[in-house]
Amino acid sequence: MSDTPELGRIAVLRTLSLWHRALRLAILLAPGVVLAAIAIDAGQVSPPVAIGLMLLAAISALVPDGNMGVLTVLLLAWYWAATIDRPTSGATLLAALGILVFHTALAASTVAPPAAVWSRSMQRRWARRTITVGVATTAAWLAARSLGSASIDGRAAVLSAALVGLAAAAVWIRHRGLARLPEGPR
Amino acid sequence: MTSGWQPTAALVRGATCGLVLALVGILVRRVDVVVIAVPLLVTAAWSAWAKPGVEPTVTQQLDHPVLREGDTTTLRIHIDDADDRTEDIAAYLPMPRFAELDPPQGTVTGTDDLSIAVRITRWGRHLITPAHVVASSAWAGFRWTRDDDAPQSLVALPTPAVFDAVPPPALARGLVGLNRASRPGSGTEFAGIRPFQAGDRLRRIHWPRSLRSGTLHVTSTWAEEDRHVAIVVDAYIEVGESDGIDGRASSLDTAVRAAGAIAEHHLRRGERVSLQVLGARRRLRVPPASGVAHLRRILDRLTAIEPGSADTVESRLRLGVDPGALVVLLSPLVATTPLERAIDWTARGFTVVVIDTLPPGAHDDDPAQPDDDPYRTLAWRIRLLERDREVRRVQRAGVPVVPWRGPGSLDEVLRGAHRRSRGPRMVQR
Repeated sequence: MSDTPELGRIAVLRTLSLWHRALRLAILLAPGVVLAAIAIDAGQVSPPVAIGLMLLAAISALVPDGNMGVLTVLLLAWYWAATIDRPTSGATLLAALGILVFHTALAASTVAPPAAVWSRSMQRRWARRTITVGVATTAAWLAARSLGSASIDGRAAVLSAALVGLAAAAVWIRHRGLARLPEGPR
Repeated sequence: MTSGWQPTAALVRGATCGLVLALVGILVRRVDVVVIAVPLLVTAAWSAWAKPGVEPTVTQQLDHPVLREGDTTTLRIHIDDADDRTEDIAAYLPMPRFAELDPPQGTVTGTDDLSIAVRITRWGRHLITPAHVVASSAWAGFRWTRDDDAPQSLVALPTPAVFDAVPPPALARGLVGLNRASRPGSGTEFAGIRPFQAGDRLRRIHWPRSLRSGTLHVTSTWAEEDRHVAIVVDAYIEVGESDGIDGRASSLDTAVRAAGAIAEHHLRRGERVSLQVLGARRRLRVPPASGVAHLRRILDRLTAIEPGSADTVESRLRLGVDPGALVVLLSPLVATTPLERAIDWTARGFTVVVIDTLPPGAHDDDPAQPDDDPYRTLAWRIRLLERDREVRRVQRAGVPVVPWRGPGSLDEVLRGAHRRSRGPRMVQR
């Protein structure tokens, strides 16, 4: 329910409520935060890449219910991994929080029509949960930072355990969520 | 139709990106990439864990299925969520014609029951399309929609215009009522004192006069009678744009509101009122009766008027009234049939008054098509000239034609009708 049916994507922008405008702005700016984090660590950002990513962010802001967000996140992560060689710096946390804001703002933009004014309870719940995940992300970053000084040897057992855990998470999420549900009564 | 709980792009994005980034981070031994994947993985896992198990049920109800135009009612949307995993609810009510919504865009959000205020700005029978309801689970991971409810009917009764008429009624031939008849009878208004006749009531004996004269005298009174007012609405064509009760009025708006006002005025005076609609898509007729409930009946039938075409014209309209009835025809006088009917009714002995409901601006340009087509404008002006000629013909036949101006619109013509009703006249049978 991201768009009023009879209006085009651009025309819908004129009907956005204040809260929706803030969400669309967050979608547009969050990749900029990630690029800023890259610039802090790497010293510079490639202008063509930055322009391309901001264009993708603009398209995502225009169509929050689409799949352009997936591409934007993957490209941001790829550019991060290709550019940064100091993995546990403060910029990592900034980039992760930027991704969180981008993802959350995209999701929040789809729960109500563009012209809808969000109720206070909805605003509080989304803010509370975003902070909760932000805290979890910060905890993960702190854990990674504490492990950053320790040298972990490449062991087959550790790698296998990590991959098995990841596969289990993937299977669980697919089973819980991504499997096509039976349609309701017609 | 419900769609069931469906995974959203947000869940797909969180799960796909989170898992891919975590996998890549593990394989290339980049813990920072894993950290970046954490918020995506956490939200995806949260969404999957909080997946709703059952579909909610939605009921939508209007507070008032019948109201007056200009009044406001509320569409209440109640969502019953059995497993309490529905978090964000949004509803979008498409803007009905001749309605205003609050919130103006018709969109509301919340976590519980929702309500949208609907103000109907024009009389008629409206169908309120049910609101599209969308429910989302945690992190907008799953979405459920429903938009298959049947439209709800909302009847907006016309708000009668202000109307009053002070002149005495035309010839009244009913049985009981508030109007003084031209013959003596058992009413309350004093007529005179006359000698006693067989059948006179004893309580009517005027004792002072009887004692003075030595013979019995009684007080006589005028009879009291009601009158039949036949309201005829011309719905062959609707001229002009209608903006509802707050804006411009079309010819049909004026006719319907004036008909309601005239009916209300005469029913409150205890007279019988009937309604007939010419040219509507459906045959609409209310037989003569009196009382407050009858006003509701007339207003209800007025709401069902839809402009029709001449194909539905009855060959000869049956008013079902006696010759003493007052026939009030409300018409923009664009179609020729109502004018011919008015001449016919007058010839048959009815007292006919025609109220011209053509909107004021329509005398200059075609209000239905305010474009720059010179031929259309020319055709409309020619039609107006023909209309003027037809109106003069009707007036020559003894039918007064007056514009609707609210209170006092009919005073002058009713006085004339009252004068004419006292004298002899020739009618066709």
